[in-house]
Amino acid sequence: MTTQTKSTGPTTVERPAGFAILQIVLIPVIAALNYVTGVIINILKLPLFMDTWATMFGTVVAGVWVGAAGGFLYNIIMAFTLWGLPAWVWGFINIYIAIITWVFWRTGWVTVKSPAKLVAAGIIVGVTNVLPVTIISWGVFGLMPTYAGTAWIYAAVLASTGDTLSASVVSSIIAEIPDKLISLILAAVVASRMPARFTLRPPKA
Amino acid sequence: MSNTAFGILKSGYVARDTFVHRLDGRTKFLFFLWISIFNYIFYDLYVTITSFAVVMILAFAARIQKFVATALAIIVLPILLLGVGIIAGPFGFAANKTAIVSTQLFGFTIGLYLEGLVYASVWTSRLAVTITAALLAYVTTHPSDFAAVMLKSRVPYKFAYAFLATIQLIPILTNEISTIYQAQVSRGLNVQAKLIDRFKSIIVLMIPLTLGAINQTQIRAIALESRGFSAPVKKVMLRDPTLKGSDYAVILIMVLMTCVFVYLIWTRGLVPFMVGIEYVRPGG
Repeated sequence: MTTQTKSTGPTTVERPAGFAILQIVLIPVIAALNYVTGVIINILKLPLFMDTWATMFGTVVAGVWVGAAGGFLYNIIMAFTLWGLPAWVWGFINIYIAIITWVFWRTGWVTVKSPAKLVAAGIIVGVTNVLPVTIISWGVFGLMPTYAGTAWIYAAVLASTGDTLSASVVSSIIAEIPDKLISLILAAVVASRMPARFTLRPPKA
Repeated sequence: MSNTAFGILKSGYVARDTFVHRLDGRTKFLFFLWISIFNYIFYDLYVTITSFAVVMILAFAARIQKFVATALAIIVLPILLLGVGIIAGPFGFAANKTAIVSTQLFGFTIGLYLEGLVYASVWTSRLAVTITAALLAYVTTHPSDFAAVMLKSRVPYKFAYAFLATIQLIPILTNEISTIYQAQVSRGLNVQAKLIDRFKSIIVLMIPLTLGAINQTQIRAIALESRGFSAPVKKVMLRDPTLKGSDYAVILIMVLMTCVFVYLIWTRGLVPFMVGIEYVRPGG
């Protein structure tokens, strides 16, 4: 017969006590991940922005307000450092992205288990995102072309319609749909690979 | 853009002993807001160019002109070139009437138009002014002062924490992605592959980075809890920034200039100095 003796080592804390603090600490991580994705896109030379995928990921793993706050903070940091003050309004895009991602997540569309629904959700996010993007482009950039990747589409539409609004909307559609689709797929894939011990949602009562 | 952005965010504060550095963070932030707002109100190239000259003089005075020039060359210059090439070019911008130069090529008129050139220049110089003013405030203010200024301005300390933690995390995560990238390249990741394969490469880079960051989140949350982050007590600051005479002088100049700007808008409208150029609304 063996007797088990209770170890008397120092107290170690393996998990924080509250989910609230965990979620607050996650907000800067989401903002930084949105930023660092830009570095990866640069390395891989991909024709996308991908600076909302972490907002989507944060929404899926920790809730809508964490995703929205992380995304908004990313835009605040960029506006106060490199993009200039008016660019803070891009933060509303991140809030919109967090809300629509949460809606699709609640309805079970943001999951790698049903790829068709995931792709449909990504396309819908991209299409509906054109409206806030156009509003911000109107106020901050005067509907001018700002992205070299779609500048030729902008020029072609402007040449055929003479209208900067149409040119901006069409070039936004071309840029937004693949960007948001791939961002949502990436968020779903990374969330699906997250071990259960990293749970960031409070346990259900 | 990211490499430049990373360079600026990584270095963050540039330690110098200049007039701009000695100003309080609140004064610099107020100046950033003030000049950005007025630049977006006026539609006048003379006003925006003068504002740009002012912020560039301040950048030279703060000895951060290299940072500013790099950021402007990478962020603003491409927008200016695209804007001038398309808006001022022969692509049918509705306001274009006055050709500066034009030539016939294969039966088409190729030209550069004054109205489009002014429109593109005004919008890009607005961006240049606001970006330079932002860098002036960010690069010349010590991070500890940032925190103190935020808390003194009654920003919730949780938001102040999130803001400063993001600035600290960006270089950390960027270094980590560099390590992960090198590890994956040594395991056969090909960044020169076809487009589809490069898209797949995002996943092998992002999963280890994200899981590592989430793991650190848990450790950071424990550390914050152990330091009483959520404790319901009044927080104290290591630094206590105060407004000095030079801060009041800068604020006074801003107040006086605001009166001048309001007078100009009242008497001359939003295009006070440009003659013969009408105000062009975006999309209008």
